[in-house]
Amino acid sequence: MDFQLSEVQEMLRNSVQKFVSDNYELPSRIEQQKKGMGYSEEHWKTFAQLGWLGLPFAEEYGGMGGDAVDLMVMMEEFGKGLVLEPFYPTVVLAGTAINAGASSAQKERLIPGIVAGEIKATVGYAEEQSRYNLADVATSARENGDSYIINGAKSMVANGETANYYIISARTAGDRTDDEGISLFLVSADAEGVNGTHMKTVDGLRASELTFDNVEVSKDDLIGDLNGGLEILKKVATNAILALSAEAVGAMEVLYKDTIDYTAQRIQFDHPLAEFQTVKHRMVEMFTETEITRSMLYRATMEVVDGHEDAEIDVHALKFLVGKNGRFVGQNAVQLHGGMGQTEELRVGHYFIRLTVMDSLFGDTNHHLNHYSAKMPLPEANDEAVQRPFRTAANL
Amino acid sequence: MDISLTEPDLEFRREVREFLDQHLPTGAEMWTKRDEWFEKLRAKGWDVPKWPEEFGGPGWSPTQHYIWDKETADRTMPPVSPFGHVMLAPILMKYGTQEQIDRFLPSIRNNTVNWCQGYSEPDAGSDLANLQCKAVLNEDGTEYTVNGTKIWTTMAHIAQWCFCLTRTDNTGSKQEGITFLLIPMDDVEVKPIFTLGGSHHVNQLFFDNVKVPVENRIGEENAGWTYAKGLLKHERSGIAGISKTLTGIKKLKANAQTVRVGDSTLMGDLGFRNKVAEAEIELRALEFTELRSLAAAAGGNEPGPESSILKLKGSFMQQRLAELTIEAGGIYSSNNSSEKAGPAFAKGGMASYLAGRAATVYGGCSEVQKDVIAKSVFNLK
Repeated sequence: MDFQLSEVQEMLRNSVQKFVSDNYELPSRIEQQKKGMGYSEEHWKTFAQLGWLGLPFAEEYGGMGGDAVDLMVMMEEFGKGLVLEPFYPTVVLAGTAINAGASSAQKERLIPGIVAGEIKATVGYAEEQSRYNLADVATSARENGDSYIINGAKSMVANGETANYYIISARTAGDRTDDEGISLFLVSADAEGVNGTHMKTVDGLRASELTFDNVEVSKDDLIGDLNGGLEILKKVATNAILALSAEAVGAMEVLYKDTIDYTAQRIQFDHPLAEFQTVKHRMVEMFTETEITRSMLYRATMEVVDGHEDAEIDVHALKFLVGKNGRFVGQNAVQLHGGMGQTEELRVGHYFIRLTVMDSLFGDTNHHLNHYSAKMPLPEANDEAVQRPFRTAANL
Repeated sequence: MDISLTEPDLEFRREVREFLDQHLPTGAEMWTKRDEWFEKLRAKGWDVPKWPEEFGGPGWSPTQHYIWDKETADRTMPPVSPFGHVMLAPILMKYGTQEQIDRFLPSIRNNTVNWCQGYSEPDAGSDLANLQCKAVLNEDGTEYTVNGTKIWTTMAHIAQWCFCLTRTDNTGSKQEGITFLLIPMDDVEVKPIFTLGGSHHVNQLFFDNVKVPVENRIGEENAGWTYAKGLLKHERSGIAGISKTLTGIKKLKANAQTVRVGDSTLMGDLGFRNKVAEAEIELRALEFTELRSLAAAAGGNEPGPESSILKLKGSFMQQRLAELTIEAGGIYSSNNSSEKAGPAFAKGGMASYLAGRAATVYGGCSEVQKDVIAKSVFNLK
């Protein structure tokens, strides 16, 4: 068991850290998120040049051959800057789907373009009736000779407007909520019948409502096996949760540190606020909840990489903690900044908002607690239950 | 970063499991065969896992410690008093003379001598440095005379010795006048204190002109606070009990399935089940925090703020487990007799719950832990 980052990971962390500190002061972020597609194409080119866009892809296609731990390192640093560029939808969401399901021909077609910064992609999985159930898919794909005809809609698709490609789930067999019968398709953004309403989200990012009206795709656009799409989507969800959680931990760290700095210099009643015990203790709680969330982030990420039997439940545990503790840290950071915390002027509010939005992605606290609860191991019922009371140091 | 157990680690885990399966006494034998068990542990070299190698420790890696803690947490172990093993021993090793080490360490190791901790006083709880129990050195410097009182002294009624913080000077700051003495219990008066539910574990001690040879002083006169502070960090590390609480959650799940709720069981109640799930999630995160802390300590560092975080959250989670257990016991949890009523686990649950209210008070109360964390992590006053 080892908790040290490798030399390569340290270098990666340092270079992302430098990018963020050079480019992501709050005023730059606020300005950038309003313009055009909500991010900087210049920065995207930088990402390509630095090789970041190839992180999880195989070296044979120009990628870095990185794993979930490498992504975690990057995403935490991105989270500290609340980076706007569509790394998450392209590299994490679409990247996972491509790695998990695409044929070599499809990989040839997509990965070099992504790595070069020429192709952006995103995944459409949520629908209005589905809430957080990936298997609830009403969008349909009907076989039509050598092609499929897709009809339906996908909701709140990350960076839908800027994407060149969508990877979407559509039903090719079975009933609406069946696990079997879901297939993933690669759809060109400018295909006929594809329409989108594009929104700004309150965290400075972008999302789209997409509709598909008799959109024709070829059989070469099927990603993975016919009717085998749910397995791929689950991998997308796993990697998405790990990435979002790393981003969240980065944001939480910024929040408690900013709060310490602010309260140490804000004088009221002749004392810095930080000297008042309730303030001090609240910040300690923010620190400990961040560290505890970080521990689960490491645990779940390493278990996923290792194929550990607890990986599935710990991913649920992680997202639950991120939601719950992210809310705690975010709300208290705003609180302890008093009136200033309510404004857009300080970065505290922006990080709080991002954490709030992240809780709604790929399942909230309620969803993941229910899933953890259903999947956690249950020992045998025990009639001869242990008689001795649980021992503490006091009653040894 | 890598979480997988190596082949040597897996082999070690097999060895631990085999040893425990073969030798660990269960049921009533835990008391009758206790000494035999300690001998077997000693013969294996595993009786003092957290001690340094030069004093008989096995020199385990953090992963091996983790494996041992996990495996033993999963079973019921014959209890070992922490006062000698965990709290006094590191102080003796670091600050004691060779004579003191030779005299006291073996019987701590063998569990043949019981120790108690003479720290808190009626006016010195969280503000421990406020202690007043006086020790006056005689003219020829051979003996102290101790007068005063100590309180909340766990298991003092079966202890042969007491390690004690005494006041030897009032002229400087509170911390500067404290001396660490080892005091035999022969002449110390012990009065039981009954805590919630009628338990007797703690006591008040009265020192009335108790004589203590100067050979029983650890280190220098008036330097006791430094020694004690180091000890407090070790005490803190020992209290969290994350692995044990996780095992407790497992038992809770088993027990809750014996609680009938109409045609189902309590584990079929989503609200209750989710509360258990939430506790387990928190503990799994703490388990990993402990691992991170162990790994950092392997770098030779003294326990840092991690020990306070673990004590803070660990003690809270012990209470949470006890709370869920009495909830599971329902109407039967109030049974305070030797009669049977309802499922077997229900009776012990209330005793743990009541005793457990102290977990956030002893070893440094939660409020103090937060101050400690603030000081060490934030550099705040």
